[in-house]
Amino acid sequence: MKKQFPIWLGFALALILLPQIFDTVLGISILNQMTIWIIFALSYNMLLGQGGMLSFGHAVYFGLGGFMSVHALNLIADEIIVFSITLIPLVGGAVGLLAAVFIGSFSTRKSGTVFAMISLGIGELIVASSLIFADFFGGEAGVTGDRTYGPPFFGIEFLQDAEVYYLGAFWLFVATLFMYLFTQTPAGRMANAVRDNPERAEFIGYSTRRVRFISFCAAGLFAGVAGGLFAINYEFITEENLNALTSGRVLLMAYIGGLGFFIGPIVGAVILTLMNSLLSNYSEMWMLYLGIMFLLTVLFLPRGFAGFIMMHQTAWQNRRLGTLILPYLITAIPASLFLAGFVGLVELSHKGDDTLSFFGLILGTESMLSWGILLTLTGIGALGVKLSGPRLDAAWVLANTVRSDNGGDAQ
Amino acid sequence: MSLLTLDAVCKSFGSTRIINDVSLDIEAGEKHAIIGPNGAGKSTLFHLISGRYNVSSGAIGFQGKSIHNLPPYEIARRGIARSFQVTNIFPRMSVFENIRCALLWSEGYRYSFWQLVGRQKKLNEKSFGILEQIGLSDKAQLPSGELAYAQQRALELGVAIASGAELIMLDEPVAGMSNSEAENAVALIRRITEGKTLIMVEHDMNIVFDIADRISVLVYGEIIATDTPENIRGNKRVQEAYLGEVPCDA
Ligand SMILES: Nc1ncnc2c1ncn2[C@@H]1O[C@H](COP(=O)(O)OP(=O)(O)OP(=O)(O)O)[C@@H](O)[C@H]1O
Ligand SMILES: [Mg+2]
Repeated sequence: MKKQFPIWLGFALALILLPQIFDTVLGISILNQMTIWIIFALSYNMLLGQGGMLSFGHAVYFGLGGFMSVHALNLIADEIIVFSITLIPLVGGAVGLLAAVFIGSFSTRKSGTVFAMISLGIGELIVASSLIFADFFGGEAGVTGDRTYGPPFFGIEFLQDAEVYYLGAFWLFVATLFMYLFTQTPAGRMANAVRDNPERAEFIGYSTRRVRFISFCAAGLFAGVAGGLFAINYEFITEENLNALTSGRVLLMAYIGGLGFFIGPIVGAVILTLMNSLLSNYSEMWMLYLGIMFLLTVLFLPRGFAGFIMMHQTAWQNRRLGTLILPYLITAIPASLFLAGFVGLVELSHKGDDTLSFFGLILGTESMLSWGILLTLTGIGALGVKLSGPRLDAAWVLANTVRSDNGGDAQ
Repeated sequence: MSLLTLDAVCKSFGSTRIINDVSLDIEAGEKHAIIGPNGAGKSTLFHLISGRYNVSSGAIGFQGKSIHNLPPYEIARRGIARSFQVTNIFPRMSVFENIRCALLWSEGYRYSFWQLVGRQKKLNEKSFGILEQIGLSDKAQLPSGELAYAQQRALELGVAIASGAELIMLDEPVAGMSNSEAENAVALIRRITEGKTLIMVEHDMNIVFDIADRISVLVYGEIIATDTPENIRGNKRVQEAYLGEVPCDA
C-alpha cells in the first residue's frame, strides 16, 4: 500500500484536474459518464477477472441500485426523508448488495457455464418483472427524479454538471480504493485461487461457493454504487439500464480493457465511453466499429489494452522500449491508411443518395471513382502493414531479448 | 486409538467396483505407504479419504469422528492435507501466493475481507519459511504455471503441507522426477513430515522401503496385505500379485 501511495495520489490529482482540462459541456458530460462506467466495469471485473465468474446479468445490480436511487431522490424532493443526495450512491450500493445476497445465495452454487446461464436467466427475469411492477420501474418510460432537492452540501446544490462530476469523482476514488483493497484481503486472494483452480481451493479449506458468494456480493454492492451515481447524473432511469444490453456493455468494457489487470476495466470503460459519446456523433455505424474492435481484441489482444501495455514491460526493463518507436510508427502509417479506407467504405455503403465528405473529397455511392479511391486506399494500407510487419516483429524480438552485456538472465 | 480408520469402505462408479471392502487403521505418527499396480484404486482411495468422492458404503473416521462424505474443505479444516498425482496448483498466481493461500485457513483468516494480507507479518513470514523449506525462495514472485516440472511438484508438496495438518497424504510425490530430483524430494518429504502422520502412494520401491513404517498393498481395489516393510517383502501373495511383476532391486 505504501509503495502505491504515489499512484493513488496521482489518481486523485487526475480526477481533480481533468474537468479543468476538458472544461466544455461535452467534456464534463463524458467525464461524468466515465465515473459511472469505471466503477461499474471494475465491479464487473470482481466477478470475471478476479473470480472467474462470467456473468451476463450484472446490469441487474446496477439497475436496481439506480432505480432505488431515483426513488430516493423523489422521496427527498417530497421531503418524506431528509437526506443529502451526496449519499445516494450508498443507497444504490445497499440495494445492489441486497439483490446480490439474495440472487448470489443460489447462483454462486455453480460456476462456469451454469453460472453464466443463471445470470442470463435472472437478467431476463428482472427485465420481465420491470414491466409488471410498473410503479417501481415506471414501465417503458422509466422513472425520473430531481437531484437539486434535499439539504445542500456545503452550499452546493448540484445544479451544475461540474458539481456532479466532483461528487462522482469522490465516489469513484472511494469505490476504486475499496475494490482494490478487496483484492488484497484473504477473501480477495481466495477469489483468485478459486478462479485458477476451484478444486484445489477446496482442499486447502475453502468452500468455493462461499468464496464466490463473497465476491459476488461485493460486485453487486459496487455495481449498485455506480447505479446510484447514474441516478444522480441523469436523474432518469429506464428498464434499459438493467437489461442484457447494459450487461453486455460492461462485459465489453472489462474485456477490452483487460481482465487480468486491476486497471484493465478502467481503460476499457474510458475507451468505450469515448467511443460511445464521440463516435456516435459522427457515425451511425459506431456499434459496428465497437464490435470489430471487440473481435480484434479477443483475437489479437486476449489480455486487453492493459495487457498490451504491460507486454512492453520486458522491453522497458531491457531499456529498449525506444527501439520500438520507429517500427511502430512505420507500421502505424499504412495501418491508418487502411483504417481510413475501411471506415470510408463502411460509411459510404450506407449513405444511399447522400454524399460522404472524406478528407475534403466528396464521395458518392453512385460513383465508381469514389469506391475505387477507398478500395485503393484500403489495399495500399493493408499491403503496407503486411510489408512493414516483419520489421516490427524483428524489432519486438530484439527489444525483448536480454542484452548479454548486462549479465542478467531471462527471468 | 488410531488417527484414521477406514471401515469396510467401498466405492463404485456405475456398476464397476473400484474400491472393495477396504479396512485400514493408521496410527498417529505413522509413515504409511500404499503400493499397488496401475489402476488398483490408490488415488481413488485418497479421493475418498480427502472428500473428493463420496463413499458408496462403509465409514471413514478421523480423530474419532466420522468424516466420510463431508466436503473436501471440511476435511481439510480438520487436519487432513493432501497432494495430487497430477500437479494441481494455482497456475496464474505467484509461487508465494500459492503458499500464502494454502496457509490462510489454518492461520485463522477464514473469509476475511477486512484484513490486508500484505499487512499480516506472521502469515508472510510463515509463507516465506515454507518457500525456503521447499527450495523455491528465489522463485517466489514467478507465476507458478511457469515453474519447471520438478519445481511445480515441490510447490504441490508445499501447498499440501503449508497448513501444518496432522495427516499428510501424498499421491506419487516424486513420479516423473529425475533421480537427483527424487532424492531431494524424498529428503524434503522426510523433513516436512517429521512428527506428522504420512500416507503416501509411491511406485518406487526403494523410496517406499526407505520411508515407510508400514505398507498396504492394494490390488484391484482390495487391500491384500498391511504389514511392516520386511514382512511385505516376504509375503507370498504380495510377490505374486505385485512385486513379482515389478522387478525391484530393494
Ligand atoms: N471418476 C471415475 N469414474 C470411473 N472410473 C474411475 C474414476 N476414477 C477412477 N476410475 C477407475 O478406477 C480405477 C482406479 O483408478 P485410480 O486412479 O484410483 O488408480 P491408481 O491406483 O491410482 O492408478 P495409478 O497408479 O495409475 O495412479 C481405474 O481403472 C480408473 O479407470
Ligand atoms: Mg493414482
